[in-house]
Amino acid sequence: MPSDKTMLSLIDNMIWIILVVVFTFFVFQSEHFLTERNISNILTAAAVLGILVVGQTFVLISGNFDLSTESTLGLSALMGLWLIVPAGAPTFGGGIFLNPFLSIAAVLATGAAIGYGIGCLITLGRMHNFIVTLAVLLIVRGLMLAFSEGAPVNGFGNPNADVFYWLGHKKAFSIPGIGTITVAVIATALVFVIGHFVLQHQKFGRELYAIGGNRKAADALGINVERRIRQVYMISGLLAALAGWMLAGRVVSIQANLGEGFIFTVFAGAVIGGVSLQGGRGTMLGALGGVLLLSTIDRGLNLMHVSVFWVKVIQGAIILAAMFLDAQRVRLRELSLSVSSAAPKRSG
Amino acid sequence: MSLLQLKGIVKNFGAINALQGVDFSIEAGEAVGLMGDNGAGKSTLVKIIAGNLQPSSGEVLFGGERAEFANPLQARKVGIEIVYQDLALCDNLSAAANVFLGREVQSGFGLFSRLKHAAMTERTAELFSELRSETRPRDLVELMSGGQRQAVALARTRLSNPKLVLLDEPTAAISVRQVAEVLARIGQLRDTGHAVILVSHRMGDVFEVCDRVTVLRRGRKIADKPIGKTNPEEVTGLITGSLEDA
Repeated sequence: MPSDKTMLSLIDNMIWIILVVVFTFFVFQSEHFLTERNISNILTAAAVLGILVVGQTFVLISGNFDLSTESTLGLSALMGLWLIVPAGAPTFGGGIFLNPFLSIAAVLATGAAIGYGIGCLITLGRMHNFIVTLAVLLIVRGLMLAFSEGAPVNGFGNPNADVFYWLGHKKAFSIPGIGTITVAVIATALVFVIGHFVLQHQKFGRELYAIGGNRKAADALGINVERRIRQVYMISGLLAALAGWMLAGRVVSIQANLGEGFIFTVFAGAVIGGVSLQGGRGTMLGALGGVLLLSTIDRGLNLMHVSVFWVKVIQGAIILAAMFLDAQRVRLRELSLSVSSAAPKRSG
Repeated sequence: MSLLQLKGIVKNFGAINALQGVDFSIEAGEAVGLMGDNGAGKSTLVKIIAGNLQPSSGEVLFGGERAEFANPLQARKVGIEIVYQDLALCDNLSAAANVFLGREVQSGFGLFSRLKHAAMTERTAELFSELRSETRPRDLVELMSGGQRQAVALARTRLSNPKLVLLDEPTAAISVRQVAEVLARIGQLRDTGHAVILVSHRMGDVFEVCDRVTVLRRGRKIADKPIGKTNPEEVTGLITGSLEDA
């Protein structure tokens, strides 16, 4: 029998095994799956989701969660473009013709401010994180709809808008066998690397695990728990804004409903990747696996010409499967822990 | 001059008067048992000394200087370590991570700082060997026995060379053999010149390792006697209130 440690690490890294199995399945199902174009598509599709999942992972590890990021994503795409385009023509929105770099800065600052505000409501206002983030999800989305009156904003043929589109639109280079790598993919990879570094190699990350694992203990040992929670929500908001900026370059014409319903996929990605909803458990690497799996399944079903209706059903089933996995992971952990404590062991 | 001196400590939680003017002092190299029934104010007093709580009024002097700790980190900085009743461990972290929690060894500054994992693991291993525990620094705390968990919590107090160690019910949740080990460690601390405050319900523990026993009842100190001048029967009477004071 494998040792407890091997067992636990297998349980925690199940995602990569599943990813390989699913990937292989699609390779046999569709001849187009292993093409450069498709691999490139999987990665690009994973980019926006990945950034949101990194933000959510920070929040989840601290034992909290953030439902609002899909609205912040939509708002930052819409607002960022609206600030750039000139006022006038209806399809160009009613913008203020701002410098695109200022617009990007404004968008990121807005995202961070929304997140920080959520953190303040939860910690200083002593409100429940579910209710606060749900309310912000609705408020931000409502403001977007009211503000744009449902009309799309786009920057066709506007050189300033092209600057804004750069992050989500620009191709960086090509790798034979994998295909075109976009700027978005590189940016997301960078965000994952930084996220991993912060969680595993910095005091800040260590403190988040401690807060998620035993909040009272973290508090007793002098960690400023509430301040960390505000910071975590700020990171989540900032990354949601970054994801929105990125998505703007991919869809080009921004509707007020951009990103609606996306939050479920974000949670699914994190949870499938082994980030626990109970807090304190999970890694960026696992979350990356979850994102790649969802993106792979999405593209695979597309190539197999599965009807969009069924894709919805399958996505729902995947979320259920993710929750099931999370529950089993907890059970398996407990099982493997109880087996290990039943076995004779050296005591301290 | 006493190492720690408390003068007229009062602590109110709303309408509840947890401590009503407690005086207390302890010297270096002394072990004092702090006893009392549930709700007598033992934990509140210990948490004030450790910086988890701030007194409503009264004075705390440490090393002769006035000390006001806004949080436990400040108390630790001057040399006060505490082992909490529930041990305050994070099950999801390794032993080394728990030992260094809140005091991580880092290199670099600010955004570019980085945990020195190897240094912390190594130091934790040393601490465990000093405690004669076979606990391994990289093991997750959730995989550990009660005694090993206790060792992790005790190892924390040895990170710095503390002047005062507070132990809140350290023997409440461990086996008989492990109790003997913990008591031996308390004796070891005292003999190396540390002041130790042991909060306990267990008369036997206090009489075995302490030099002095202080009894609290309903937020007041009602006795403070050298162990040699009292006995378990008297202390029990003081705790329950069948003896008014001594």
